[in-house]
Parts: sequence; C-alpha cells; structure tokens
Amino acid sequence: MPENASPMRAQDKLTFLLALVPFLLDHERVSVAETAEHFGVDQEQIREAVRLIAVSGVPGDTSQYLHGDLFDIAWDDFEDNDRIAITNRVAIDDSPRFSAREAAALIAGLQYLSALPENADHAAIGSLMAKLTHGASASPSQVAVAGTQTDESLRTIRAAVGSGTRVEFGYLNSRGEQERRRVDPLRIESIDDDWYLRGWCHLRRAVRTFRLDRMTELVATPEPISYRPSDVSLPDTLFEPSDDDLTVSVAVAESAIGLIVDYIPDGARRRRQGGIVHTQVRVAHYHGLKRLVCRHSGVLTVTAPPQARAIVAEWAGAGLARYGDDA
Amino acid sequence: MLSETNSPARIPVEERLFSLVLALLATETGLTKNEILSTVQGYRQRYAAGGDNSALERQFERDKDDIRELGVPLETVAPPGDTGNNQNLRYRIPKGSYDLPPDIRFSPEEMTLLSLAAAAWKEGSLSAESRRAIMKLRSLGVETDDPLVGYAPRLRAREAAFEPLSIALERKTIVTFSYLKPGETAARLRSVAPLALVQHQGRWHLQGIDQDAQEPRTFLLSRIVDAVRATTNTFEAPGGDYAARALDELERIWEGNVARVSVQPGTDAAVRLGKRYGTDRSSGTDPNEPLTVHYSDLNILADELASFGPEVLVHSPEKVRDAVTTRLRRAVADHRDEADQHEQEGRDA
Repeated sequence: MPENASPMRAQDKLTFLLALVPFLLDHERVSVAETAEHFGVDQEQIREAVRLIAVSGVPGDTSQYLHGDLFDIAWDDFEDNDRIAITNRVAIDDSPRFSAREAAALIAGLQYLSALPENADHAAIGSLMAKLTHGASASPSQVAVAGTQTDESLRTIRAAVGSGTRVEFGYLNSRGEQERRRVDPLRIESIDDDWYLRGWCHLRRAVRTFRLDRMTELVATPEPISYRPSDVSLPDTLFEPSDDDLTVSVAVAESAIGLIVDYIPDGARRRRQGGIVHTQVRVAHYHGLKRLVCRHSGVLTVTAPPQARAIVAEWAGAGLARYGDDA
Repeated sequence: MLSETNSPARIPVEERLFSLVLALLATETGLTKNEILSTVQGYRQRYAAGGDNSALERQFERDKDDIRELGVPLETVAPPGDTGNNQNLRYRIPKGSYDLPPDIRFSPEEMTLLSLAAAAWKEGSLSAESRRAIMKLRSLGVETDDPLVGYAPRLRAREAAFEPLSIALERKTIVTFSYLKPGETAARLRSVAPLALVQHQGRWHLQGIDQDAQEPRTFLLSRIVDAVRATTNTFEAPGGDYAARALDELERIWEGNVARVSVQPGTDAAVRLGKRYGTDRSSGTDPNEPLTVHYSDLNILADELASFGPEVLVHSPEKVRDAVTTRLRRAVADHRDEADQHEQEGRDA
C-alpha cells in the first residue's frame, strides 16, 4: 500500500536506508512484500534499497572496502525467493534518533489530535510527547498547536462513525434555508480549526460535507447506515464541485489571493495587473458568495455578472442599515 | 541542497551519504576531512591525490549539513592541544548519541496515534519531517493497529513564512521581514529573534524578540507581506517553553477581548457565533440577548462579522463596531453600480 507517490529526495532515501537496516536485522528472512507493506512503499523500492545496502560498508583498515567491511545478504534467497536476510552487518544495528524538527512535527500533530474524543486521556499523549523529546537528537523546535475546542457534537458523530449508525441534524443549506438532514456519517475531517463531517446525505442522495459548527439539534439515531465508507469514494478535496455551482469574475489583491485560493476553480485564468489579479471564483450559491466577499471587503471585488455585484451590494447595505447608517 | 558535479564515476547521492554515515559511525577517534575525501565511497572516486579538491570539500560541507538535519549527531573534534588548524579536525558520529535510546519504544496504539499525527501534516510545511519520523518509527518493527478509521485531520501551514521561520527557529538565526500592522497602510521591516511558532484558533503566530524594541512580540504569519530573510546573525535563547508561554498569552488575550453582538435567531451567524469557542449568552435563555464573543485579533473578528451582513449587530466595543461598518461601507462602494436596478432572478434566497 504505497501511501505517497511523490519521489523520495536524497535525504529521504538516506533516512529510509538507516531505518530499513535495523528492521531487517530484527526480522530474519523477511519477505520483500511484507517489508514493503510495513514501510508503506513499493516493493521495487525495497529491492533497490537492499541492493544498495548489500554493497555498502566502511573503508576498513585497508581503506579498500574489502568484503568483510561490507554488508552482505543471502543473495540466492533474495534473487530466488524475494526474501531478505542480512548475513554481515556493519556499523549500525539500531534505529536512528529523531531530528529536532521531526520530533516537533509529531509533537505538534499530537497536540492537535488531543481534541479528538478518544484522546481525552491527556496523560497518555503527554507521555508520548516526552518519549519523542527524549528520542530526539536535540530539543524539539518550539512549534505548538493549541488543542482546538470541540463540543459535544464531535463526540456524538465519532460514536456514530464507530457504530455505523445514522445521525440527524438541522443544517442551513447553501441558500440559507434550514433543513433537517439524515446522514450516514463516513469520515470526520478537519483543517486547522474547522471540523467537518463527510457523509451520505439521504436528502440530497449524494456525499456531502457538513461543517460541525453549522449543525443544530444533532441526534444520534439507532438506525444502521445504508452506505458504508467502502461503498462511496471520498475525494481528497473537501468540497466537490457541482454542476449547479456559480462561477463569477473577481478582482483580488495579489497579497490576498491565498485567502480565496480554495474557491478558484482549477484552470481558471489569472490575469495580473498592477497588484490586482483578475480571476474567477466558484461558489455553491450567491448566499455564500456575498459572505465571502464581505469577509474580504477591500481586497476582493466581484466584477461580473452585474447580478452578483448587486447581491453583494445589497447584503453589505443591509448590514450597514442596522447601524442606522445609510453609507 | 544536494548537487552533483559531473563525474565519470557517478555514485548516487544517497549511496555517498549512507557510506559517510557508516564510516563516521565505525570510527572511534574520528576521520580527518582528507581521510574522508580520499577513502569514503562517493568521494574517493572524485578525489585528486595532491590536487585541488575544493569542489569536493564544499560537497562534504553540504553533506554534513544534510546529515545533521536528519538528526544524526555528526561531531567535530579538535585534537587535544591543536586548535585552529582546520585540516586536523576529526569527524565522527558517536554511536551512543546516534542510536534511539533503548527505552524509547512504542506500543501499537501509540504507533497508530503517531501515524495520524504525522498524517495531519500531509500537505503542511513539516510534511517531509513527518514522513521521515514515521520511517524511523517503522524501523522499530511495531505493527500498527488499524489506522483510526473515520478520521482525516489536517494541519495546514499555508503561509509562505512558515517554512523559513521554522528553519530559523531551529538554527537560532535572526530573521527580517516586512510586517503590515493592522490599521497601518505601509509595512515596516522587522528584525526578530524567533522563539516559537504556535497555532491558536487556527492561525499561525510567531513569538520572538523584536530586535529594535528588544522586547518580546507576537506576529501573525498572515501579515508578513514579503519573504522572510535569514540573516547571518545567530542568538542565544535561554531555555524555556516559549511555545507554551506564547499560547498562554494568546489565550489570555482571547479571554480578555470581548465583543457584544446581537444575532438574528436561526441564521448562520446565530449558529456559528453561538458555537464559537468561549461564546456566552449573558442571560442564557433569551435568544435576543446579545452574545459575548471572544477574539484575539480585532481585524480578523471584524472580517468574520462583516461576512454575516445584516445577521449581526455589533454593540461594543466601538472599535469593532467601526471596523465592521468600515468593511460593509467599502463592500457597498465596490459593488454598487451606476444604474443599480438589476433584476433579481429569484435565485437569491
């Protein structure tokens, strides 16, 4: 199950070699397949690494890399049976320590995960962080993530995902209307501070993404789900484009483009002109567009169609009117 | 950065690095640079006995940095009584500080959690580090439980400043960047000794010592408007958990800043602000009672409140109220057309 297709850089390859050797020493005659599975890489990557290890070693007393100064493997077993047995080892036998940044990345990740209901045991997370710190070659860098505050809804949905039962909740649709949704919960996702449920929506008869902080009156039902995670494919991107989406033209300050990049459809043209980028954004409905634009007031302007401009102006104007201010 | 000069006997970069690590682990007393260049696989093929090896020496310097970056404790030892002569420096990797201590082992449950922690950085700036940490963990041979099925948590460090700042943090180098303070029209160049990077309420902040003011300051990464530049100056940081302190401070600011906001019942604003961290209804039952909304940054709160349009009415403080009306006024001005009478086609709710 190769989990990252991106090619390894030399530093990654070195780390892989340093990690593979102790594993192979601990696992006599392990198969290439099993090793690939364990490390989550292609089998060919394992074979390539083993071939390199088998000819590597130290210069030795003669500085000639003589046979005894090199790793060796049982070549016949490797070539014929796709099994790996190291018959001579050199210099290393244990796993390497973590770097300060590696330990910091995992520690920050753990802090982030401590918001999950099953990690309510903060002592266990704390001891894990202490182990990582102790296993690093230098003090982990000071990178930290505040545990996000999650309410009871995450716990309820988590339990429903675990038991394979349906949930029901009130949700504002993309037009701002309140609807009762019956959903087969498939996966809980989050990006930084925002938590989402991906699930099969029985109202829409499709996979939908719901923000947890938009749900009201969430109820766990005893009904078993009719769609399982294996039945539907969950794309990597959180929001699936739909045919009903609206695409509008916008002008956005170049410095602010990162703020709306999620809304710019793939392949949309970006024309730069004096610190302003002219491009397009895709939204489910004007209801969402007017909010997006008012959030980025001053750096994001809708240029067309006129109807979209009017709706934004009306929304902002209505907001302003509440202050008795006619602008 | 790894680069390779053209050479007839081309040894892959990872083979040269692997051979260097093995050679330096195997030596008790250390090897001199010359011994390394003339004998270690990947260097020796390009070594010119008695000739000019300056390119190869530079290669060795870069390789050392790359290896150290992986957490390998590559040491430099000066022979006793002989300081100053660079040619006599010896290099080695003490096995005791290379090996993961034997008491650092992980249970399958712990491995599952660590894998998920690493996966959270999938697209973030620390993704390469997470990937390597996981390789090292897997070398321990512990089988993981099923991954936590049903979860896909992600940390994003999208700001371009994150990567250079995290490196400066590690190397303790002073950095400079242009910072746009809210309410100011021009960015100002700051010189900062970085102490910690923390994410609070979904936003990354840098905590550091402002070199001009010589005082600790907190910077929002999204307000750094140009590239972060590392200077050649380093600094000493007295020990301490700067990250925890920075988070405590942000938390104090969050608790201390309060806006009173009325929301229209049943709207998006009512649902989302009602669930916002720390939000409180002063009386508890009356839906028309204003909400008490906490914030750490006035402008970020104002952006959010402006997006709700007529669904919210800010009562206090005055500066939040002003910031919201300024945004709304600007949005009206930017979107009002001369003949403002387009037909509504009934698509709008």
